Amino acid sequence: MSFDLNFIGILIGAIMASSVPLILAASGELITERSGVLNLGVEGMMIIGAISGFALMVVTDNLFFAVVGSMLSGLILSFIFGLLTQSLLTNHVATGLALTIFGIGMSAMIGKNFVGIPGKEFPLLFLDLKESIPFLGPIFFGHSIILYFAFGLPFLTNYFLKKTKTGLIIRAVGDSPTSASNQGINVTLVRYSCILYGGAMCGLAGAYLSLIYTPQWIENMTGGRGWIALALVVFATWSPIKVLIGALIFGGITILQLHMQAVGLRIPVQLLSALPYIMTIIVLVVISRDSRKIKLNTPTSLGQIFYKEK
Amino acid sequence: MNTKLKVSEISKIYPGCIANDKVSLEFGSGKIYALLGENGAGKSTLVKILSGVVKPDEGEVFLNDERIKLNSPLDAKKNNIGMVFQHFNLFETLSVFENLSIDSDIKDEDLRVLVNDILKKYNFKIDLDIPVLNLSAGQKQKVEIIRCLIRNPKVLIMDEPTSVLTEQETDDLFISLKQFSKDGILIIYITHKLKEVLLLCDEVAVMRKGKVVSVSNTIDEKIESLANKMVGENLNTIKKKINHFKNSEEILKISNLNFKSDDPYETNLNNLNLSLKKGECLGIAGISGNGQNELFQILSGEIITEGTSIMFRNKEIGKLNPRERREYLMAFSPEDRISQAAVPELKIYENVALNNFKSSNFFEKGLVNEKKIKEHSKKILSNFSVNTDNVELKSQFLSGGNLQKLIIGRELITSPELLVCFNPTWGLDVGAINYIHETLIQINEQGKSSILISTDNDELLKLSDRICVIYKGKLSKIMNADTVTAEKLGILMGGGSID
Repeated sequence: MSFDLNFIGILIGAIMASSVPLILAASGELITERSGVLNLGVEGMMIIGAISGFALMVVTDNLFFAVVGSMLSGLILSFIFGLLTQSLLTNHVATGLALTIFGIGMSAMIGKNFVGIPGKEFPLLFLDLKESIPFLGPIFFGHSIILYFAFGLPFLTNYFLKKTKTGLIIRAVGDSPTSASNQGINVTLVRYSCILYGGAMCGLAGAYLSLIYTPQWIENMTGGRGWIALALVVFATWSPIKVLIGALIFGGITILQLHMQAVGLRIPVQLLSALPYIMTIIVLVVISRDSRKIKLNTPTSLGQIFYKEK
Repeated sequence: MNTKLKVSEISKIYPGCIANDKVSLEFGSGKIYALLGENGAGKSTLVKILSGVVKPDEGEVFLNDERIKLNSPLDAKKNNIGMVFQHFNLFETLSVFENLSIDSDIKDEDLRVLVNDILKKYNFKIDLDIPVLNLSAGQKQKVEIIRCLIRNPKVLIMDEPTSVLTEQETDDLFISLKQFSKDGILIIYITHKLKEVLLLCDEVAVMRKGKVVSVSNTIDEKIESLANKMVGENLNTIKKKINHFKNSEEILKISNLNFKSDDPYETNLNNLNLSLKKGECLGIAGISGNGQNELFQILSGEIITEGTSIMFRNKEIGKLNPRERREYLMAFSPEDRISQAAVPELKIYENVALNNFKSSNFFEKGLVNEKKIKEHSKKILSNFSVNTDNVELKSQFLSGGNLQKLIIGRELITSPELLVCFNPTWGLDVGAINYIHETLIQINEQGKSSILISTDNDELLKLSDRICVIYKGKLSKIMNADTVTAEKLGILMGGGSID
């Protein structure tokens, strides 16, 4: 019995690990979108984060530089997006799509020389506690620092948006940039900051993949996680806590259906593979049914170009 | 402390239009100043300059004889100039308190005390913790005003504040404004409504085409004198000759119209009967929300009600949709110009094509014949004196008056037998109102009929041959207009009877 329980603990730990990139990227994108900016470049920024993290790890042999570098690269890519959409007033959707295509292509080019190089072991915390406590040990301990950060992030984001002045300003800009500007808020600055923050978080999400989750570089290794993160933000109706729930369900069903495939259940593999997507959407739609809350959480100006009257 | 505000030689030029042409004005505290002018006269540009939203090309602003720079809204705030825009600058999804705290340097707890004091002092009743989108227009305006009051304003500018308010809310606003003025705040009140100027303000400056054309004390002015200054010509007072149509042909007959709505915000209609003669104008008065909207939609075919008989030119049209009704020569001008009558993002000629999309002229084999539509649109623009000849212009850039002229023109150019209009002059300035009124009288003279649903009694008495009142979804007796007075209408609109 204790073996089984421990196995479930390990399974939960694995689910948590698989949802980390989603939580990071979605939390970042959530802040971006709350300021009214729709950045569809999440996938692109993630994969650039993944390759730059891995490449820096190989070149400098320093994981700290690798992680910081991945965030910087996501940030730089999002800066391009900011420059185009906020200063040159290009369309958010088209620019974001271009950013993703650019990121995927760029990462493949840089990554050519890094294919097949083994990754470095990322330090995991509290490994002894993980071994010594059955069930709870593998759930709570033996993870990387990034995982702990990721699981704290939605709560921090929630607090930040609801309780701090800066959070209030971001929500106000997302609600009505014109009103905000007339109140003397520098809309462009606020939106730039939110875009850069989102970029950095996407970069970190990518680094988690290439440095910790599957420590190596494979072309296209984000495998659509950026798009899932984007969808999570919308289906979670811009609520950070629901993003966390959605990411866990998605990660959970992904892992579970892999196990089900391994067990050899008589369910078509295609259906099992589709299960995480279907279930995540169903659950999030069900828990976000309150139309009043949706209205209050949705950034009204999402995707709208803002320009100041002169 | 006394406040003096002076603007000197302010000019602002936009491409193709001089919004402000060397505007100079002086204001002093303790008084309420009206800035009067038609839409597009330059009032809004001037107040945007005073609130730092727009930078002037030339000119200076002095506060208490000191020159101030107004490069941004923050500068206006620093100089204690508060501004309530016509379109609210509120964040709909944030709570009232969040809206107030966002640009305030005061700690939240202290701010709450301060706001509660203001609420008590001016007898405002607003829940601070509900989202702004749940408030009425009048309450939203109060939030805007409180936002200004928090900063102890020396100057408070109100831009067309009553355009979204009910009568009761307007009365409340005037009481508050007088109180602010007593408390030493200099108030600048921008409007195009003449009555309000006489009711509320001490001094009035009239603007026309970017220039200040007159400054005077309101006690020396009358509605007519102000209207003439505003428009710049002597306005003819229009008065229609009321006709009695005893023997004319009946063009429209509605019997036993009933409408029951599932939507709690809609009004049910009960047993409506009316008939209309050729060349006649039937006015329908009433306080808004008594079923006018539903009646209009039933007439236009937006709502189809079972079992209702609508006979139009001896044909039963009760089951026809709006397009089919148009083919039988009915025309409609809805109340909401922006969202019902026209698509603001579309160009003028595209909007013209919209109510005529079956016309074989405009569309051939599924393709748009732009040339024909544009020619047709140009004709409308010139025939109905819309203030542009550019059919490529997006409709949202037309002023309310010009947009309404375009809509009425679009409806009338097909020479319909019946025009149904709903508040056709709502929110328009005197010049445009006059034009629309003349047009409506003209179509009656040409033997066409009209139904005028309006909340403006002066308008109804001016234009109708017969008048009735709608109250809680029921129609009063239909009366000849020459036997009706404003008092009678008032009684009926309030649900009373006059026999």
